[in-house]
Amino acid sequence: MKDVMQTSGTFQPAVIEDIQAKAASGLYRIRGWGTLRERRWATFDDLTFLPCSLTRIPLEGYREKCSTKTVLGKRFARKPIELEIPVMITGMSWGALSYNAKVALARGARTAGSSNTTGDGGMLMAERENSRTLIYEVLPSRYGINIHHMRMADAIELTIGQGAKPGTGGLLLGSKISDVIAKQRDLPVGVDQRSPARHPDFLGPDDMIIKVEELREATDGQVPIFIKMGASRVFDDVKLAAKAGADVIVVDGMEGGTGASPAILQEHTGVPTLAAVCEARAALEDIGLYGEVQLIIAGGIRDGVDAAKAIALGADAVYIGTAALIALNCNRPLYVEDYEQLGTEPHHCHHCHTGRCPVGITTQDPELMKRLDVDEGAERVANLLRAMTLEIQMLARACGKSDIHHLEPEDMAALSMEASAICGIPLAGTRKVFGR
Amino acid sequence: MCGIVGFFAKDGDQAEVGQTVLGMLRALGCRGPDSAGVALFGRPANGSFAVRVKLGESGDLQSRAKRISGLLETFPGCGEVTATCAYARFEAGGGTDLDGLARAIEMLDHDFEVVSIGRRLEIIKQTGSPDNLEETYHISKFRGTHGLGHTRLSTESRVDLSHSQPFWSHGLPDLAIVHNGHITNYHQLRRRYEQRGVHFYTENDSEVVAIYLAEQLRKGGGLREALGGMLRDLDGSYSCLAATEHEFGFVKDAFALKPLVMTETDRFVAVATEEIAIRAAVPGSYLVREAQVKEVRVWQR
Amino acid sequence: MAKISCGGRATREINAEIRRAIAAGERDIVVEDPGARHNLGVAVLEPVRLRFAGSVGYYCAGLIDGPRIEIDESAGWGLAESMMNGEVIVRGSAGNGAAAAIRGGTVVIHGDAAARLGVSMKGGTVLVAGNCGYMAGFMGQKGRMVVCGDAGDAFADSLYETTCFVGGQIQGLGTDAVVEEPSQEDAAWLDATLAQYLPGARRGQDFKKVVAGKKLWNFDKREWKVWQEAL
Repeated sequence: MKDVMQTSGTFQPAVIEDIQAKAASGLYRIRGWGTLRERRWATFDDLTFLPCSLTRIPLEGYREKCSTKTVLGKRFARKPIELEIPVMITGMSWGALSYNAKVALARGARTAGSSNTTGDGGMLMAERENSRTLIYEVLPSRYGINIHHMRMADAIELTIGQGAKPGTGGLLLGSKISDVIAKQRDLPVGVDQRSPARHPDFLGPDDMIIKVEELREATDGQVPIFIKMGASRVFDDVKLAAKAGADVIVVDGMEGGTGASPAILQEHTGVPTLAAVCEARAALEDIGLYGEVQLIIAGGIRDGVDAAKAIALGADAVYIGTAALIALNCNRPLYVEDYEQLGTEPHHCHHCHTGRCPVGITTQDPELMKRLDVDEGAERVANLLRAMTLEIQMLARACGKSDIHHLEPEDMAALSMEASAICGIPLAGTRKVFGR
Repeated sequence: MCGIVGFFAKDGDQAEVGQTVLGMLRALGCRGPDSAGVALFGRPANGSFAVRVKLGESGDLQSRAKRISGLLETFPGCGEVTATCAYARFEAGGGTDLDGLARAIEMLDHDFEVVSIGRRLEIIKQTGSPDNLEETYHISKFRGTHGLGHTRLSTESRVDLSHSQPFWSHGLPDLAIVHNGHITNYHQLRRRYEQRGVHFYTENDSEVVAIYLAEQLRKGGGLREALGGMLRDLDGSYSCLAATEHEFGFVKDAFALKPLVMTETDRFVAVATEEIAIRAAVPGSYLVREAQVKEVRVWQR
Repeated sequence: MAKISCGGRATREINAEIRRAIAAGERDIVVEDPGARHNLGVAVLEPVRLRFAGSVGYYCAGLIDGPRIEIDESAGWGLAESMMNGEVIVRGSAGNGAAAAIRGGTVVIHGDAAARLGVSMKGGTVLVAGNCGYMAGFMGQKGRMVVCGDAGDAFADSLYETTCFVGGQIQGLGTDAVVEEPSQEDAAWLDATLAQYLPGARRGQDFKKVVAGKKLWNFDKREWKVWQEAL
């Protein structure tokens, strides 16, 4: 009689494969995408909205207004940015993404009345030309940093780290350092480019205060300065960023994506986005700056529901990255044989780091890039942004709000004890907040 | 994260140490809006010790000083207690059991903390700006030989008087430190010290620097060996100034992660996180340079 | 020549006055009593001469494109950071990260440089008459760095294509840094450049040349020892 197949919970197939791959290469695993683990920690899925019934009155869809206008950077900047919607496109490098992808994202955001962000590698002129509102990222590598481009931007984002890999630098493998990317970044063609983990000219929050002032001087105090961090010691970090003079603070949670990074960093560093937004708001309240400093939350935001929950918990806006790429056809069942050549399939692909993206998004190969039509891509991104906005409005109206920014934690109930403890929200069925 | 400053006069004991350190701190204000403090070395040694006690964090504290006066009746050789704002101060005779005295004071009230004891050392610190410190305690009037100063931007621990710097190494008279940076093996070191019975007063990682240097000095070496030992035993980022009755020095960490600039003439040494602090408070013509990685310098009187 | 007196004013006001002077057509400006303030002369984009008669703090001449900026005493951290083009001359010493991430132009330091000189530099030229500190040239991508005196530990660590030259002793080489003989062209370039900015410095052919060994450019498990340091 055959034995029943038993799989070890400790040495699962993926773990066996990982060990054997390391035994062959002598190096840690590098891939794209973000955490792949099953989500066993508290996430936005552990919250549910409490729509109006008897105690409150809902608003009708279609006729009764529900404003989505979003203003960021009111604290110090002379020209805060004004968006039509609270969903923005995060920074993703030209290098990690193809030229067509960057332009499609810019145009799509513009159509939807939202903003685009440059990324680790500097600004493409096509980005500035095609963006309604453009946020200029200053990262530790300083690739492509150009004062003239900086002065064309609508906001400056000083990036300390990102959710997928806080505390470390970026990585772009040789196959994606094409001639044109190499020139933009002042690198030799084909190297495995490692970005530094730290900025070259400031190292602590006390030096950062001076750096933020420098960026203001460079832009005549006109535009908002964002400080972006991967979620780690969020409660302390957000207070420091606020004390350093940020107009807007961006916290990027553990579920955030990346084009290429060591797998262990994506899985085992950083704090989940739900926890991050709650800590971030608590930090601003602790120093009396909630409402004065705006908060953008990022890290695996998938739809209007996640966005609405993040906003209810204290965010003024959310960034999307991976979701925007998926709108552009990432993981869509097209060119299926090419997915198979990479060793994967549609809906399971996270092979951005290879530069062989079957749908032309995370590649520098001109032939592959042709598969991404810029106008079609832009329309799909705009559609996603609009659909997400409608979802947020629907939930807000159901809760009786004429402005999506009026969503509050009290509009929700927790579905798990962890979520109750983390968010300070009663557990559904108990009227009790756990863990406080 | 913070601004640190230090000033050391090479001759005499009537240098305007308070005024200079205060001026340096004012110029660094933007680095540390949370609290400010100084460690000033003055009074010619005449055998007795200046003892400064924190009476509490807020509220009407001066009435509490009476309890200390009461206690001192059982410690012969101790002088009158004066109370200013959050502090009580008195002088203890040279033969006093200082450890016993400190313990007894702290047992009187759980808010009491002995903030400094020294033949020459006086630590004055509080929440707020250097201007607040001056307004309450008139630091600018202090004359002496050398001094340290600190303005604080809180990172991971609380903002209150006890968590402010400079730190006195509880138990070793006259040793004071100021630290800019973050000791990343702080918890591990703390657990080891606590195992040996050392008491920590705060969760501020800078406190372990004072405890470490005190331990090294008790072993018999001087400040130079002690500061050099930090490079071996303390991990993380730091620019650190330390001073005792007769010595004044600094160390910069092994990766040059925190700023520290210095200048030396035949009359004085001035050290600070930024040159702007020295220029604002120390007149004269001198060249300022950044300290190098792992650099340890100590001056003696 | 226009003279600006700092008085008790903040950097923002002083920079605004500098900008007004430039807009009014001044091409030669002296700023007195800078008192080591931060962010002086940031983002000056015109080909003017701007002299600071004293010490400056952090990020002086940061993000500039075109001017010639002179500093009579010392400079703090991040001198000329991200400069696109221009000349920045310091008579005294410079703090950490001098010439960080510069993309072009020339930085000249007559005194010593502290740690991480020319970190992530992407072009341009850095010249130091004295010594440089720890980890100079870290991740240098393009351009040239010349240290006439001694170089500190971890010199030229993880280089891409920046070429480094040292006149004195090197306390320790960084990961993947290799020492070569300067070529004839190198020596000629050194002589000409030093003659222009640091006359009296030693001869071009007496310098050691330091470049990347290129072992860190693409991961190779056979070079594990090299990568262990870098990763």
